[in-house]
Amino acid sequence: MSTVGNSTNIFWQESPIGKAERQKLLNQKGCVVWITGLSGSGKSTLACSLSRELNNRGKLSYILDGDNLRHGLNKDLGFKAEDRVENIRRVGEVAKLFADAGLICIASLISPYRKDRDACREMMQDSSFIEVYMNMSLQLCEARDPKGLYKLARAGKIKGFTGIDDPYESPLNCEIELKEKEGECPSPVAMAEEVISYLEDKGFLQNE
Amino acid sequence: MEGLAIRASRPSVFCSLPGLDGDSQRKRPPSDVFLKLPAENRKIVANSASFHPISAVNVSAQASLTADFPALSETNLKERRVNGKEKAENIVWHESSICRCDRQQLLQQKGCVIWITGLSGSGKSTIACALSKALFERGKLTYTLDGDNVRHGLNRDLTFKSEHRTENIRRIGEVAKLFADVGVICIASLISPYRRDRDACRSLLPEGDFVEVFMDVPLPVCESRDPKGLYKLARAGKIKGFTGIDDPYEAPLNCEVVLKHTGEDSSCSPRQMAENIISYLQNKGYLEG
Repeated sequence: MSTVGNSTNIFWQESPIGKAERQKLLNQKGCVVWITGLSGSGKSTLACSLSRELNNRGKLSYILDGDNLRHGLNKDLGFKAEDRVENIRRVGEVAKLFADAGLICIASLISPYRKDRDACREMMQDSSFIEVYMNMSLQLCEARDPKGLYKLARAGKIKGFTGIDDPYESPLNCEIELKEKEGECPSPVAMAEEVISYLEDKGFLQNE
Repeated sequence: MEGLAIRASRPSVFCSLPGLDGDSQRKRPPSDVFLKLPAENRKIVANSASFHPISAVNVSAQASLTADFPALSETNLKERRVNGKEKAENIVWHESSICRCDRQQLLQQKGCVIWITGLSGSGKSTIACALSKALFERGKLTYTLDGDNVRHGLNRDLTFKSEHRTENIRRIGEVAKLFADVGVICIASLISPYRRDRDACRSLLPEGDFVEVFMDVPLPVCESRDPKGLYKLARAGKIKGFTGIDDPYEAPLNCEVVLKHTGEDSSCSPRQMAENIISYLQNKGYLEG
């Protein structure tokens, strides 16, 4: 819903320092690496590893984690369906700002609905939205259960928990898919390297 | 306009506070940093011969869906197994992530929020522009959050109702905080007329990281500029609740920088005023890693 009756009072503010200048300063291109997958699939672990590997290469990145944001920007949101949509929307908008600032913004959140992730993709005007799907089996994720949430969900203490009584809609056309190989999960560093190779190939780790 | 009164100092604290990812305080981490934790914090991992670290154990907001749910203990841990065994029987080794200090080292600057407040037409955006340009020329990374720009994106669901104005400021404060945590010098340029709302944003940040800049320009001067034609519309009654006309502006009582208008024929340019802000940042150590 746009600001009714107010849009004519809002102007775009031009600044002489734009994305191009910032990217030149940082020697990289801003983008959003959107890591999606079930709870326990390793999103935060990958985000951490990726951020560290990028830092080792002198690249600036920042992790937007669903949980962290819910303590700050999104602390007014609950878990009703519309609040979940709003949670993802706001993360997408902030990620867009970070990418505009020249950062490699790593968004790490379950984001189970295709429509919501696609809406975030559309916010990015160029092809700088990189969707990374942590395609780990529910069995593996539940065996890990790093936050004890699957156990609670199975006991009926949490309702609408993704993977148990709420669906996860896997991406149909993501840029990177990370999965178990012969029943084993690749190491975080190996997975981070795969993402970094992609970023390198697409020119995000330099500024032409 | 001209004239700069720099209000002295709130104490500044640099690089000594944990970032949002909860890291410890250090200047530069070695490539592998492990924290020893006592056995009671140990998390039992899935039995697998292959290495797969467990992601952080946090109190999840999802976990608080039901009222009778007991809180999980809050830790930021990753477990590492080496060759399928824990490194020592009662010790769990944990890996840390990149912290604010690492980013500050990379950028050779310290993140902060420059919050520019004042009436419409007082020159906020002009100073924001000049400041970002001057800092860029020094090799410093900035990002400007402008009330108008943000209303097209993050805050596009908000109107100008009183509670939405508060929410507009709150969200911008939270985003500015994130940028500061990245290490960016985040310039927020918005009327933000109410002291309470600005102070709430100040309280989000560590002491010293919120630099409030007051564009102290009299209403008649702003109105005579009227860069967006809004005062004219407000006087004609076509805009209600317009700050300065039929809604109050509460000047800061204790801001870091005051840019006071002293005459339209003065020779102090926006660039010169930006340089004064830069001097403040330099003195406080924000322009180094």
